[in-house]
Amino acid sequence: MKLYHKILFIFLLLISASCTDVVDVDVPEGPIRLTIEASLDWEKGTTGNEQTILLSTSTPFFDNQQNNGATGATVRVTNTNDNTEFVFEDQNNGRYTTSSFIPVIGDTYSLEVIYENERYTATETLFPVTDISSITQSKDQGEDDEVLEVNVSFVDPVDEENYYFLRFQGRIDLLPELFYIKDEFINGNEADFYYEKIEDEEDNIVEFKPGDIVDIVFLSASEDYYNYLQLLIEQFEGAGDPFSPTPVALVGNCINEDNPDNVPYGYFRVTEMVKSSYTFE
Amino acid sequence: MKKKKQRYKPIRLLIGLCLLLGSTMAHAQSNFTISGNVTDKMNGETLFGTSIFLEGTTIGAITNEYGFYSISAPQGSYTLVFSHMGYKEITMEVVLDKNQKINIEIQESSTQLDEVEVTAEEPERAILRKPEMSVSKLNIKTVKQMPVVLGEVDVIKSLQILPGVTNNGEGSSGFHVRGGAVDQNLVLLDEAIIYNTSHMLGFFSVFNADAVKDLKLYKGGIPAKFGGRVSSVLDVRQKDGNSKNFALTGGVGVISSRLAAEGPMFNNKGSFLVAGRGSYAHLLLKLAGEKNSVSFYDLNLKTNYSLNKNNKLYLSGYFGRDVFDFDGSFSSSYGNASGNLRWNHIFNDRLFSNLSLIYSKYDYELGIDDFDFDWISSIKNYNAKYDLKYYFSDAFKLDFGISTIKYEFDPGQIKPTGPNSAINELQLDKKRALESAAYINAEHKLTDRLTAQYGIRFSHFNRMGGQPISEYANDQPLVYNNTLRFYQRTDPIGETTFKKSESIETFSNFEPRLALAYQLNDYSSVKLGYSRAAQYIHLLSNTSSVTPLDVWTPSGKYIKPQLSDQYALGYFRNFKDKMYSLETEVYYKTVDNRIDYIDGSDLIGNNTIETEILNGESRAYGLEVLLRKNEGPFTGWISYTLSKSEQRTFGGNAGGPGINNGDWYNTPFDRTHDISVTGAYQLNDKWSFGSNVIFQTGRPVTYPNGQYQYEGISIASYSDRNADRLPAYYRLDVSATYKPNRRPDKKWKGEWVFGIYNVLNRKNAASISFGQNFETGANEATRTAIFGIVPSVTYNFKF
Repeated sequence: MKLYHKILFIFLLLISASCTDVVDVDVPEGPIRLTIEASLDWEKGTTGNEQTILLSTSTPFFDNQQNNGATGATVRVTNTNDNTEFVFEDQNNGRYTTSSFIPVIGDTYSLEVIYENERYTATETLFPVTDISSITQSKDQGEDDEVLEVNVSFVDPVDEENYYFLRFQGRIDLLPELFYIKDEFINGNEADFYYEKIEDEEDNIVEFKPGDIVDIVFLSASEDYYNYLQLLIEQFEGAGDPFSPTPVALVGNCINEDNPDNVPYGYFRVTEMVKSSYTFE
Repeated sequence: MKKKKQRYKPIRLLIGLCLLLGSTMAHAQSNFTISGNVTDKMNGETLFGTSIFLEGTTIGAITNEYGFYSISAPQGSYTLVFSHMGYKEITMEVVLDKNQKINIEIQESSTQLDEVEVTAEEPERAILRKPEMSVSKLNIKTVKQMPVVLGEVDVIKSLQILPGVTNNGEGSSGFHVRGGAVDQNLVLLDEAIIYNTSHMLGFFSVFNADAVKDLKLYKGGIPAKFGGRVSSVLDVRQKDGNSKNFALTGGVGVISSRLAAEGPMFNNKGSFLVAGRGSYAHLLLKLAGEKNSVSFYDLNLKTNYSLNKNNKLYLSGYFGRDVFDFDGSFSSSYGNASGNLRWNHIFNDRLFSNLSLIYSKYDYELGIDDFDFDWISSIKNYNAKYDLKYYFSDAFKLDFGISTIKYEFDPGQIKPTGPNSAINELQLDKKRALESAAYINAEHKLTDRLTAQYGIRFSHFNRMGGQPISEYANDQPLVYNNTLRFYQRTDPIGETTFKKSESIETFSNFEPRLALAYQLNDYSSVKLGYSRAAQYIHLLSNTSSVTPLDVWTPSGKYIKPQLSDQYALGYFRNFKDKMYSLETEVYYKTVDNRIDYIDGSDLIGNNTIETEILNGESRAYGLEVLLRKNEGPFTGWISYTLSKSEQRTFGGNAGGPGINNGDWYNTPFDRTHDISVTGAYQLNDKWSFGSNVIFQTGRPVTYPNGQYQYEGISIASYSDRNADRLPAYYRLDVSATYKPNRRPDKKWKGEWVFGIYNVLNRKNAASISFGQNFETGANEATRTAIFGIVPSVTYNFKF
C-alpha cells in the first residue's frame, strides 16, 4: 500500500499548493557498522557459479564518500544439506568473489564472515522463481496516460505463498525502482507491474523515450526477506513524509556472534533470478 | 499492586461524599422553585450556559444544553438576574411563595456584538464557584473572528489556540488534547459520534460554523455523563434554527461557499435549519488543466417541534463527504453521516429529561483503477441514551442516566472491479460490540465557598461474537526473535469461531469523577479534579498523522481497553473588575493499555492486527496558563502550555525489551512549548481587526543516524523512536473585517473578511523526508512546508 501513502501525500501537496525544498538538517551520528550485501542470485539458464558478496562499512548520513569497502575479511558460504563449502576471495575493494558456487533449489546455505575479529553468520534457503510471462510497453497504464511505461507480467503459482522482489533500472539512471510483492491478494493470478518515470524538473527526472533501455531483475524472496524489503523500500521512498510510518531500524538476517550489540546491516539472500532488459520503441 | 491500591482511593472519597449528602438533603424542604427556558430574543435559539442567580445570595444555576434551568430558594423576595456574556443582563423582582415558571428571552448587547468572546467556562459570576475545570468553551462568534487559512472558519483550528490543544502540524487530521492521541477524543455533533473531524486531510474541519451554536471541549474533569474516550470530549451543538423569522446566512470564500436557511415552522411550534457547504476549488483546478481534483461538501439539518410546554422533539442530521480523484486512476471518498432524534421531557419544575436515539457512520472507499479493485471500510453505531437532571435544591443537583451503543465494524473489503483484475476478493472479519454505561453525578454546594462535583460512571463493553478469532501458540501473536533482535509475527495455529449470541470478551470499569472548587475570595478560587475514563475502541494508525483510511477496532482478546487517570489542579482569578482573567492549571495523566506498533508494522488490509502491536502505557503532564482580556475595544488572550507526553511499551507476553528497548519515548504529539497570542481590536462600527501569533516546539520525529549501501542505493539507518524534532513552528496571521454602512431597516447584512495567513511567509516544516537525489545520488533532506503566505477574502451575508 505504499502507493496509497504516496498518493495521499501528492494530494496534500496539491491541496495546499505547498512547496518542498532541500534544507540543511543536523542529524545524529550512530555507530559505524559492517554492511553485508550477500546476494547469491542464480540467473535461470546459467550455472550460477560466479557470485559476489559485498562488504562495506556504514557512514554518517550526509557523507558522500563511496570508498568504504571493507577489506581483510574472510567470507565463506556452506551448503548445509551436503556441507559443500564455497570460499569467497577478497578482491581488496570490498568485493569477495567465487566462481565455484553450486546453487540447488530447496537447499539451505549458511554464510560466515569474519571481519575485525568478529564473526557474523546467516542462513537462507534457495527458492525458485516463476518466469516473467511478458514485458510490454504502454502509455495508458500508470499514473500518467501520456507517458511511456514498461509492464512486467508473471503468473503467480496458486499452491504456495510466494514473495517476490522486482527491480527496474533505467540504464542511464542512478537509482532503481524497487517492488516488494506478496501473493496475498493476487494468489494464482497473472499480475502486472509497471515502471513509469514522471517528469520532475527539480529532480531532473525525465520521462522514458524510445530507445531507452530498462534492466529488469525478478527474484523470489523468503517471507523474512520480503518483510525486510518492504520496510527498506518504503523507507527509501518516503521516510519522514506525514503519511508514512515512523522510520525504524532495518533488521536483516546476519548475526554478530561475538558482539551481538554490533549488529551488522544488510542481508544474506540465495534466490533464483530472472534477468531481462527492455528497449522502448 | 501498589498502583492498584491507589486507584481505588477516589472511590472511597466518593462514598464519603455521598454520606455527607444526606445532611444537605434535609434542608431542601421549605424551598420553592423557579424554572424555565432562556432563549435568544432575536432568533429564538435556546441558550446554553446562561447564568441565573438571586442577587445578594450564592444561589444560582446555569442553563443546560436545551436552555432549561431550575433554581430553588427559601420563601422570600428576590432580584432574579439573567446573565450571559454578550447579552444584556436582565433583572426582575420575584416574590417566591410558590413554584413558578419563568421563560425569558434575552437580547444581544449590540455594543459587544463583534467583540472577541471566548467566554469563561461559564459567565463570570459563577466561574469561580463551579468545580468544573479543564474546559474550553468557544463562542461561535469568536471562532468566526479569528484569522484563518483561506478564510475558512474552523472551530477545531480555533480550539488549538487555547492551552493544551495542538495538532500534528498543518495538513493533519484531528487534534491532540493534553498529549493525547486523535482517537482519544470523543467528538460529538448533536450527541452523535463523529469519527473523522477533518475535510481535505485536515485543512478544514467538518463543522460548518453557520450551523454550530456552541462547542465545549473537556480536556479533563470529564463529567460522568460522557465516556468512551480517555483524553477529551468535544461537544458541538448545532443551532436549532431561528424560531422568529426566516433567515438566510451564507458566505462566499476562496475554497468553498456556504448557505444556511432557517426559520419557524409547524405554526411557530418549531423551527428548522438547513445548512450546506461545498468546495469548488476542484472546478478551478480542472479549469487550470489539473487532472487531479479534491473536493468536499457537507449538509447539516435540524428541526424541532414543541408538543407542549413540557415536551419537545428535536431531529438533527449531518452528512459530509470528501472526494479525491487522481486522474481517473485512483479515487477515494469518505465521510461521516449521523442522525439524532431527541425527546426533551420536563417531568416537573425540578426534573428534566432527554431521550436520544442516535445513528452514526463513517465510511471510506478507495478505488484503484490501475489494479482494478475497490477497497471499502466502515464503522457504524446505533446509540440510545436517556439523561436526567434533578434539581434537588440550590445546593444539590443530580445528573444520572444510561446509554448503550451498538457498534458494527467493517475493517475492510477488497472487491475486484473487472474481469481482468489481478486482485482476489477479500473480506476482513467484521466485528461487533456493545458498549453500555450508567452514571450518576452530583453537583453539591458544601459550604458557601466549597463546591464539589462527584460522580461515577459504570461502563461495560461486550465484544460480541459472529467472527473467528485466531489462536496462537502460547498465546503469542508475535514473539521477540532473540538472535536477530526484533519482533516477529507468528502464524495462527487455529481459530475459534464465536457464534453471534456469544461474547468473545467482556470488560467493565468503574470510572469515578471528582472535582472540587474552593472560592478563596470574590475574585479567585482554586479547583482540583480527578477523573478516570475507559476507552474501548481504538483507531489503528502507525503513521505520524492519522489518515482517512485508518480503521477503528474494538477491544477484545488481544487489545485491552485503555484506562486513564487524570489529576488536575487549578488557580483562577479575575482582575480589574473582571476585565482580565487568569486561568492556570497543572495536570498529570496516565493511560494504561496504550498500544504501539512494532517496527515494520503493516496495518492496511491486515486481519490479524494482534501480530503488529504491543501493549504499553503513556503519561502526560503539563502546565497551562491562559490570560485573557475580556472587555473593551481590545480583547484577546495569551495562552501558554508547557508539557510532556511520552509512552513506554514493553515486550510483555511476546518477550524481549519492547519498543525502543522498553525506555520512555516521546509520543508524536509531544510539544514542550506552545504559545499563542490572539487579539481583536474593534476600531469602529465598520472595521475590526484580528491577529494570531503562534509558536510551538517542533513535532518529534526520527532522523537517520547513518547510511549504508545496499542494492545500489543508500539506505538510512535509524535509532531511537521520536528522539529528534522538526524545527520550531511559528506563524503570524492577521485579519480585517469590514461591515459596510447598514441602514437599520435593511434586512441584508453583509461583511467582508480579509485575511493573511502566515504573513511572514515562513516555511514551517510539516515534515522533513530523507532520500537520495535522483540525479547526483547524494543524500538530502527535503522539507515540506504546507502553507506559505496565504491571503484570502470571504464575503458573508445574513438576510
